[in-house]
Amino acid sequence: MIGDIALHEWRRQRVGMLFWLLLGFGQLIIAWLFFAQLQRFADLVPQLKASGSTLGAMDLVIAPTFNSLVLLLLLGAPLLAMGSLAGEVRSGRIALWLSAPVSGHQIVLGKSLGLWLGILPLVVSATLTLASLGLGTALDWPRFALALGGLLLFSLWLGCVALLISGLFDHPAAALAASYGVLLFLWLLDSFSSPDAPWYWFALLPHIKPWFQGLLRSQDIAFFVGTGPAALMATTFLIARRRGEV
Amino acid sequence: MRSGTVIWRRMKPLLLARELSYGSAHAPRLDHVDLELEAGDRLALLGVNGAGKSTLMQVLAGVLAPHSGEVRIFGQRIDQAGPGLRRHIGFLPQPFPAYAELTASENLEWAGRLHGLRGGRLQSAIKRVLHDLELDDVAARLAGRLSTGMTQRLGLAQAVLHEPEILILDEPTAGLDPLQTEQIRELLGGLSASRSLILATHLLDDVQRLCDRVILLDSGRKTAEHAVTAETDLLAHFRRRQDAAEASR
Repeated sequence: MIGDIALHEWRRQRVGMLFWLLLGFGQLIIAWLFFAQLQRFADLVPQLKASGSTLGAMDLVIAPTFNSLVLLLLLGAPLLAMGSLAGEVRSGRIALWLSAPVSGHQIVLGKSLGLWLGILPLVVSATLTLASLGLGTALDWPRFALALGGLLLFSLWLGCVALLISGLFDHPAAALAASYGVLLFLWLLDSFSSPDAPWYWFALLPHIKPWFQGLLRSQDIAFFVGTGPAALMATTFLIARRRGEV
Repeated sequence: MRSGTVIWRRMKPLLLARELSYGSAHAPRLDHVDLELEAGDRLALLGVNGAGKSTLMQVLAGVLAPHSGEVRIFGQRIDQAGPGLRRHIGFLPQPFPAYAELTASENLEWAGRLHGLRGGRLQSAIKRVLHDLELDDVAARLAGRLSTGMTQRLGLAQAVLHEPEILILDEPTAGLDPLQTEQIRELLGGLSASRSLILATHLLDDVQRLCDRVILLDSGRKTAEHAVTAETDLLAHFRRRQDAAEASR
């Protein structure tokens, strides 16, 4: 059932204009940033060689472009997610979901996976664009794989959080505004709080950048694996509350 | 009005609602409503706009949780028995919210999967309802491009797709022209022949043509329950009830 719901969500996104616009626009931005970083890297190569620097394409092209991709995903995912639950409430279709023999956790897992399937094409197309650099220069493939793993985990987390926010509202526009508010707050949290502050752990960037720097840290895995499922559980609770089960 | 008292019942009613209330105490949308549906019953909920029909339908279908009272299907509480119990229900909300960006048959495929149909069973069920609801010609058309009447047929098709024992239909003829209304009534007559039906409507013709029992709702309260016969003058009864309600205010 979870797979059916995920495929249904994916199909809905695929037939909509928004998905293709986001994918096309996102890929255009990534390609442009990639070539800009590549140009800079090409200009810097003689100086790097002269100074004996260990910095390579991974540090100067791949990691910055992946960073930009993270921001693009933060901007794009809420657009895809706003209709997931808030849109169903707004259209009245939530009545069909709630009157069906489907449990709340099946709806939530299916919808979050469907959302992930909608986010994934941009991650894949951007990754293939960046991986094409391997045709011309030596890339640190294990580090590249680690960065990709981090991105996949982040995009899955993003789907969970955006779905939760969509479930809190009855109107997609309100869900979109709240998603941007929450996600950009988490994105900027590290820049206006000290690393000693207790809420610093919720800052997004310090949990994403290490993946691109070739660092696999337990605290970053714990952040995504802890807060993502917590968001799913909260969304399941929202569905159960609508049904009067809690 | 049903006369006498049930002395012994062989089986549990298909659907039993007890003391259903919904909304705030000073402006309840439902106020201690009871109802019972047995196999083969065709029950109408009749009331003016705002009488609480749609709220009651949503509570019965498990979409809304009542603030007090309970709904039982085959003796099991709908809020405690798990989602599987909802398999016995086919629900048509008003208006039917199809996925406009999907075709009619894709909408049905989604509804079927949501109710646990897969593979050949799903395909044959879709084929059957497309035929029964006379939707074959528009199966490949986007739901957003269907006429109101066709959209309503699509809603009926998704409600009966999984062959539920109980059909809960909220104003299936609302917003339709006279010809479409007549067509939907004919289809409903066929669909409800082998099922138990709860039909919310504000049209007396719907009640007379499709139902054998009617509950009158006013301001969220059940004001009367009648058997429907050819002689039942619902309009006169409705007027008497309204006059009495206005006099009591």
